Amino acid sequence: MAEVTIKNIVKRYGELEVIHGVNVDIADGEFVVLVGPSGCGKSTLLRMIAGLEPISGGDLSIGKRIVNTMPPKDRDIAMVFQSYALYPHKTVAENMGFSLKIKGAPKAEIDAKVRQAAGVLDLTKLLDRYPRQLSGGQRQRVAMGRAIVRNPQVFLFDEPLSNLDAKLRVAMRVEIKELHQRLKTTTIYVTHDQIEAMTMADKIVVMKDGYVEQIGAPLDLYDNPANVFVAGFIGSPSMNFLRGRIRSEGGVQRFVSDHGSVLPVKPIEVEDGRPVIYGVRPEHIGLGAEGLAVKVAVVEPTGAETQLFARAGEDTIDALLRDRVGVRAGEAVNFVIDPQKAHVFDQQTTKRLS
Amino acid sequence: MQKNNPVLMTLLWILLSLATLFPIYWLFVISVKPAVDLFTTPSIILEKVYWANYAKVLTDTTLRRYMINSLIISSGNALLVTTLAFMACYALSRYNLAGKENIFFWTITNRMAPAAVFLLPFFLLFTQVFAIGDYKLYDTRIGMILLYCTFNLPFAIWTLRPTIDGIPRELDEAATVDGASTWQVIREVVFPLARPGLAVTLILTWVFAWNEFLLAATLTSFNARTITTGLSEYVTTTGTEWGTMASIAIITLIPALIVFTVVQRHIIAGLTFGAVKE
Repeated sequence: MAEVTIKNIVKRYGELEVIHGVNVDIADGEFVVLVGPSGCGKSTLLRMIAGLEPISGGDLSIGKRIVNTMPPKDRDIAMVFQSYALYPHKTVAENMGFSLKIKGAPKAEIDAKVRQAAGVLDLTKLLDRYPRQLSGGQRQRVAMGRAIVRNPQVFLFDEPLSNLDAKLRVAMRVEIKELHQRLKTTTIYVTHDQIEAMTMADKIVVMKDGYVEQIGAPLDLYDNPANVFVAGFIGSPSMNFLRGRIRSEGGVQRFVSDHGSVLPVKPIEVEDGRPVIYGVRPEHIGLGAEGLAVKVAVVEPTGAETQLFARAGEDTIDALLRDRVGVRAGEAVNFVIDPQKAHVFDQQTTKRLS
Repeated sequence: MQKNNPVLMTLLWILLSLATLFPIYWLFVISVKPAVDLFTTPSIILEKVYWANYAKVLTDTTLRRYMINSLIISSGNALLVTTLAFMACYALSRYNLAGKENIFFWTITNRMAPAAVFLLPFFLLFTQVFAIGDYKLYDTRIGMILLYCTFNLPFAIWTLRPTIDGIPRELDEAATVDGASTWQVIREVVFPLARPGLAVTLILTWVFAWNEFLLAATLTSFNARTITTGLSEYVTTTGTEWGTMASIAIITLIPALIVFTVVQRHIIAGLTFGAVKE
């Protein structure tokens, strides 16, 4: 096990810079998730950590050793690829034992370690099969087995679950998390799925366009997003955003949207009339006798919760209610918002003001 | 008409097989008849077998030499060409070489001119230019192996490229992360998966060298003479020894059959299935 330090890492392809000085500190045994939309540079960053992409600038260290120019085999890392990348001409056992064979380990040792890892991942019965004879989930487990057998300092996962169906994805998510709890190996995990990030990570690194937008614990990002991007990316369904201004009346601050919706805010030190973006999560909206009058456009009951898509004049707002409500499309209701849970962001910088 | 009627399909295949095998059968019939019978009673029916043509060919030390030359030149050429093409295709497929598509196209252009155009330049090169002291490439096996490389290599690169391109790059990366060096990646991952393509390349280049006549007839005289050119020696001013020629032709089919049988076992489709999720 080892800590990983990413210091001012830059990646350039010729003149084009795609990662612009990223800094992340990953503690020993930590499970860190790099998350962001397609093209944000998260996979490129992971491939640089793996040694599959040259580093254009900055320092990368694994276990206090600077590894910028070190070939992958000397970095003591193991990687699970999105496409599994199993050797199709080798059996499950040969796939899992490949790294030890390359290292020149004795056959008995390879066998023992492969059997041990297969036991952990419930693959013992499949050891003589070829990848083509396995299901998607089994292949994914073999790919993980190949990584475990090496007992590396760092595990790297590159969107390992994105090829699986929804049900299997949840099951594998739990398996990976359990595996980490058991092995306590430092893990860097790349995904574009914020639910995966929220459920698995000790620490999330949110990336966009080659920049780190925010680093923090999952609930910290949820409660205190640094900017509009993080606020919108983390959480499902996504946060509601309205553009407007802060207005002060009789010592009480309120948010007034460009289309006239008036919403409560917690006290904030900004000048009157400042253009802002108001953000509130759908799950922080309730129904009440007073509040913002809206007209419900669509009702989506899922059993456990009910999602309302509503309009207040030109503004659209979604609410996610825990209760089963008897509201129908076209009906007028009042949305009640707890000002403590609403956020205000600067329109220019998109940074959070409160 | 019913689609995929098994009886009809079998009949069709039997007909096609007969059409393909008939010339070989006819050749065999000619090879086991005395010269006098060939023209007096032309027939494709085998009444009695006359092995003297085979005995003559098999006891002829010159012909045996020609046969050995052909085997060495074809096999040497096929192995060398396939190895070089494999490495070239790996580089073209995996490295970001400047102008690699132009290199690939330029390689193919080497096959665009007819071989006869190169006869005189090659003759001069082999007899006068490529000479160290008394040693010349003319009428040497190594000379013929290298000569066929110039023709077979572009073709082999062209044939093999899709195979190497078809092996997912993630497998190389997985092996690299697993600790393999470039040579180990090639040996342990790329080579086993490229086997079908390598087998096809090996067969086709082997057959080209085995059948080639024009260049061999011009650039060899005795030491490196191949069996195809040896055949032509039976066409003389006093007549053509059809029976002997036919028996040589039948004998030359045997190594080709053996090569096909051995190598084609490796031509298996879908070898990379299950490697990566597509």
